[in-house]
Amino acid sequence: MIEKMMNTRLFHWVDERTQLGSIIKSQLTEYPVPKNFNYMWNFGSLALLVLVLQIVTGIFLVMYYKPSAELTYGGYTVAFDSVERIMRDINFGWLIRYMHAVGASAFFVVVYMHIGRGLYYGSYKGPRELLWIIGVVILLIMQGAAFFGYLLPWGQMSFWGATVITNLFGALPVIGEYLQQLLRGGFAVGDPTLNRFFSLHYLFPLLLAAIVGGHIHALHVVHSNNPEGIDIDQEKETIPFHPYYTVKDALGVGVFLLGYCYFVFFNPEAWGYFIEVDNFVPANNLQTPAHIAPVWYLTPWYTILRTFENKLIGVLMMGGSLAILFVLPFLDRSKVRSARYRPVFRQMVILFFVSVVVLGYCGHSAPSATLKIVGAIATSVYFGFFLLLPFVHKFEKTKPLPEGI
Amino acid sequence: MTDKADHSRRNFLYVAAGGLGAVAAGATAVPFVGSMFPAADTLAASKTEYDVSTVVEGQLVVIQWQGKPVFVVNRTADMLNRVKGHDDLLKDPMSQAIDAVQAEWMDTDEKRIYRAIKPEILIVVASCTHLGCIPLFKPTSGREDWGDSVPENWAGGWHCPCHGSFYDLSARVVNGSPAPQNLHVMPYKYKTDSVVLIG
Repeated sequence: MIEKMMNTRLFHWVDERTQLGSIIKSQLTEYPVPKNFNYMWNFGSLALLVLVLQIVTGIFLVMYYKPSAELTYGGYTVAFDSVERIMRDINFGWLIRYMHAVGASAFFVVVYMHIGRGLYYGSYKGPRELLWIIGVVILLIMQGAAFFGYLLPWGQMSFWGATVITNLFGALPVIGEYLQQLLRGGFAVGDPTLNRFFSLHYLFPLLLAAIVGGHIHALHVVHSNNPEGIDIDQEKETIPFHPYYTVKDALGVGVFLLGYCYFVFFNPEAWGYFIEVDNFVPANNLQTPAHIAPVWYLTPWYTILRTFENKLIGVLMMGGSLAILFVLPFLDRSKVRSARYRPVFRQMVILFFVSVVVLGYCGHSAPSATLKIVGAIATSVYFGFFLLLPFVHKFEKTKPLPEGI
Repeated sequence: MTDKADHSRRNFLYVAAGGLGAVAAGATAVPFVGSMFPAADTLAASKTEYDVSTVVEGQLVVIQWQGKPVFVVNRTADMLNRVKGHDDLLKDPMSQAIDAVQAEWMDTDEKRIYRAIKPEILIVVASCTHLGCIPLFKPTSGREDWGDSVPENWAGGWHCPCHGSFYDLSARVVNGSPAPQNLHVMPYKYKTDSVVLIG
């Protein structure tokens, strides 16, 4: 198929001017990929797919969305009404909006799986340290984009979520107050906040697209890790990306789309996990909803924040819980990558995954005395993983690595 | 392995899978392109009511219909007289060129010339058929009021400021104008003696 295309005169004309042929060869048809990937390696391509879906649906939503907190005759606001207009009057507006809202959650599902795979199989370890670090940057920008986007419908959860998060920055000494005003464009979340969040919500995906390009480039320099976590013979133990992994990724896309379409068409609110009930109520700056929590993908970090009684320490620990991911490649000193051959690390990383899920559950639930203790334990496990990591290689007896794959 | 490959089977699978993929991609494009067409509330605003008795004799009023400007003119007897007598100067004196310049109710020559259900009330789309500017109303004859912006034998009508098209007092385009057609008429009917429903 691709060979036929590359033999046409048009292709030769383009190739002479761009070397497209050698790009296709080096990046696709002759790009070597370990032959033993399992399905955990599908999530990178899925993340790229969801990024494209988010950008495309976002561009179409912007044709009708209006970022203004001004009141309308109906007593709501321009922004809230424009979202309702998208839902009711725009052709397929409901579909495009639900694709975007479900897509936000889907993005985090696949990216968290992608990160979990990288952790479990030691993909962050040398020579892929920078690849991992670029990935952490992508995660932070995604979380920022999601946070900015959640304000746009100007519902109750939008408004109070933004109020809480911008207040976090106010906890910082000296600069806090100014940083807070800078984010809000006023003394409280309001119309200027909505406008700048909209601007940033459009900017961040552009950054994402560029940095994802860098992520893929870095990957193609150091090449993929594999489930065994060993260095492989780039000639004998690899197969070309196209057609072998394009087909496998296509299968993953099919399975993903089944789940995605189920939520888009039948359960877009996902029992309040994807779109919270309170966000169907227009923003009211004089009344906070009875229970306020971020969307599920931010709740683990929200729990870490809530765990600490000192506001500043809570903010710093929350920031630290994400920032520590940057130094992960340098904390882990073991020479073995994959958790398959690291019995102690394997227990640790599984416990770490459990702690993140528990943190997420605690953050999504209304605060209670029991959950506070559970959250504190999960927070300790979360940080304990990183604190223990530099010392594991001293006592861990790794299993013998296979000769090849 | 390649020696034993069943190529006709393989090609069939290629075409079947690729074809289904193309259908899916095409189907996905439908809601996105569809979303760019006028929304339900835009379509709902496609009819406009107007009371023409509020327009005094000789007056021109510009109203909106579907976001487009519409001329409503209450023509005096003098103005109606000046519609006649210059058919040779017009591109389409009987408004027959395209559907948009005529209407079902234009069943007599008289109505085709006056281009109105009630001769004195002219209602036309106020967009020059050249490139959509709103022509200026220059209802008096000759150059006394308009200087050399109008021809010497000016019978009154419209002059488009963008590219110099001329229309007479029945909004019929004058020879030599870049505009190809008379100003368009839109569907309208009288709900009562003076209220018209446009659209």
